[in-house]
Amino acid sequence: MNPITQKAFTKISDFEWEIPVDFRSDMRVPVRVFASQALLQDAFKDQSIEQAVNVSTLPGLVDAVMVMPDMHQGYGFPIGGVAGTDIETGVISPGGIGYDINCGVRLLASRITLEEATPFLSDLASMLNQLCPSGVGVGSQRKLSNADLVEVCIRGANWAKSDAYTETEDLERTEDQGCLTGADPGKVSSRAMERGRKQLGTLGSGNHFIEVDLVTEIYDEVAAGAMGLYVGELAVQVHTGSRGFGHQICTDYVRRLQGAVAKYGIKLPDKQLVCAPIASEEGQDYLAAMRCAANYAFLNRQILTNKVRQAFEIVLAGKVDQWHLRQVYDIAHNIGKFEHHLVNGVKKTVCVHRKGATRAFGPGTQGLPSEYQEIGQPVLVPGSMGTSSWVLTGTPTSMERSFGSCCHGAGRVMSRSEAKRNIWGETLLKELEKVGIEIRAGSMSGLAEEAPQAYKDVDQVVQSVVGAGIAKKVAVLNPLIVIKG
Amino acid sequence: MNGYKEVEHTADIALQVWAEDFYTLLIQAAKGLYALMGVEPTVAPSRQRLFTLPQGNKETILVDFLTELLFLAEEDGLFLSVFCFDDGQNVISVRSTGQKILTWSREIKAVTFHNLNVETTDQGFSATITFDV
Repeated sequence: MNPITQKAFTKISDFEWEIPVDFRSDMRVPVRVFASQALLQDAFKDQSIEQAVNVSTLPGLVDAVMVMPDMHQGYGFPIGGVAGTDIETGVISPGGIGYDINCGVRLLASRITLEEATPFLSDLASMLNQLCPSGVGVGSQRKLSNADLVEVCIRGANWAKSDAYTETEDLERTEDQGCLTGADPGKVSSRAMERGRKQLGTLGSGNHFIEVDLVTEIYDEVAAGAMGLYVGELAVQVHTGSRGFGHQICTDYVRRLQGAVAKYGIKLPDKQLVCAPIASEEGQDYLAAMRCAANYAFLNRQILTNKVRQAFEIVLAGKVDQWHLRQVYDIAHNIGKFEHHLVNGVKKTVCVHRKGATRAFGPGTQGLPSEYQEIGQPVLVPGSMGTSSWVLTGTPTSMERSFGSCCHGAGRVMSRSEAKRNIWGETLLKELEKVGIEIRAGSMSGLAEEAPQAYKDVDQVVQSVVGAGIAKKVAVLNPLIVIKG
Repeated sequence: MNGYKEVEHTADIALQVWAEDFYTLLIQAAKGLYALMGVEPTVAPSRQRLFTLPQGNKETILVDFLTELLFLAEEDGLFLSVFCFDDGQNVISVRSTGQKILTWSREIKAVTFHNLNVETTDQGFSATITFDV
């Protein structure tokens, strides 16, 4: 098969491109890419566009397959992919959500100034590292009973509320209030339950992190004010997901659905795109199990948030005026959900798959907390380690063009093995420390894999989504402390 | 010739494996998996484990086998290095021996079916497996 080039695209605007449905005979909908010319060119270096075209062959797709500017090659779906399927005629695909179900980001704001915090940053980094379990094979401090895990599956972050881990505002400022309805632990394997019992409240490794940031720029004072973000003050990001619990659920259902593809006569260009009709027994079972993992992940970030708050209190209480951390928002970027969208002017319920893409609901959308109704949903876009992160908001255009979705990060450009060949972890550590970033990392090779050079320029990614109109700039954060497993 | 090597993938990790027969391909894939995980086993004593894989096409058997090894590594801390396969009508029985894991440096989330084809070659079999990390 010939590689896809620029010639395949129709230019919609400087930041929006489409591959028409007649590009390949098995496509059912167009592929819509949000990217600058330069980032689109970068995408031709791997198979991300071809993977998006493969996704466009799934049954029951609605509107288009969308791809965000932080796209890169994944397995089956590209990372940065968004696909909506009709809930009556369409399919659900575990690969369109990923193994780390409800991997996501939480942002906390503070009123702590850099000046106040500077003498204590090293202690704060060490305390965060001590209290927040992270790294390969590191389990949680509390092993859940089976009955507890069943409750977690059903109640999500609300489970923490009954266990004094959370504040009411945290739940209000979490996507879906930290709990998807329709979760059924009976559809989760005993293997997944076993793994899930041991890993709640852990960060994991790879690209997961806890980061203490400084708010360095504000682009929208009204929105930033509503979120409690002010220049010169600290904020915290927590990036993790459903750990081994979600990995096992996805593994189980990718395996089970291999049979469903033949049963329902679905032709696929890649086995990793396995899927089942949403209305089928297999589709319903996967949805019920996937929601358990999503709820587990909401709670996982909630428990880590509690640990982060403890660390701030231990290190900063009595030394700064206000050490409390208020939640700005918590969002998923690997998830599948039923949402209402206008498709060709008609309101439709769509199963939106987001694989490495963030929900970005515009102003006035149902389900947003009252303080965000006028500004739109906060969209959290972490940069690569040591570079800026962005806080954006969803827009009316994101609701019209991308099923209310946006980018989720910088996006990789370099393989992990290439990063390790070119970058020495210890050298990188020294470079980051030289610019004033406190790093606590579980492994130097893991640090090298996550080096800034291995990622795209997050500023260009943000420029693309803002240029396309699917997000609006609010604030820029720069790292002071990075905790990696 | 039997062997394995890591191949480039932007976000995840892929492994190319080749062997003169299918069961040796599984063993090479196991070695490659442990190498990607950066597993360091303890020296003794040895542990034994018996498990079964459902019969199916070669791709599914390969994914099931590696998924089982991933689970045993994470849950029981087992590194398995000697394998004996017994081909039954409905299942393949696998008798394996290995050691407890001392340390490992990389978490692998899952074994994927992405573009997975076990191909017949002049020398036997080959496949490229993509892992989610």
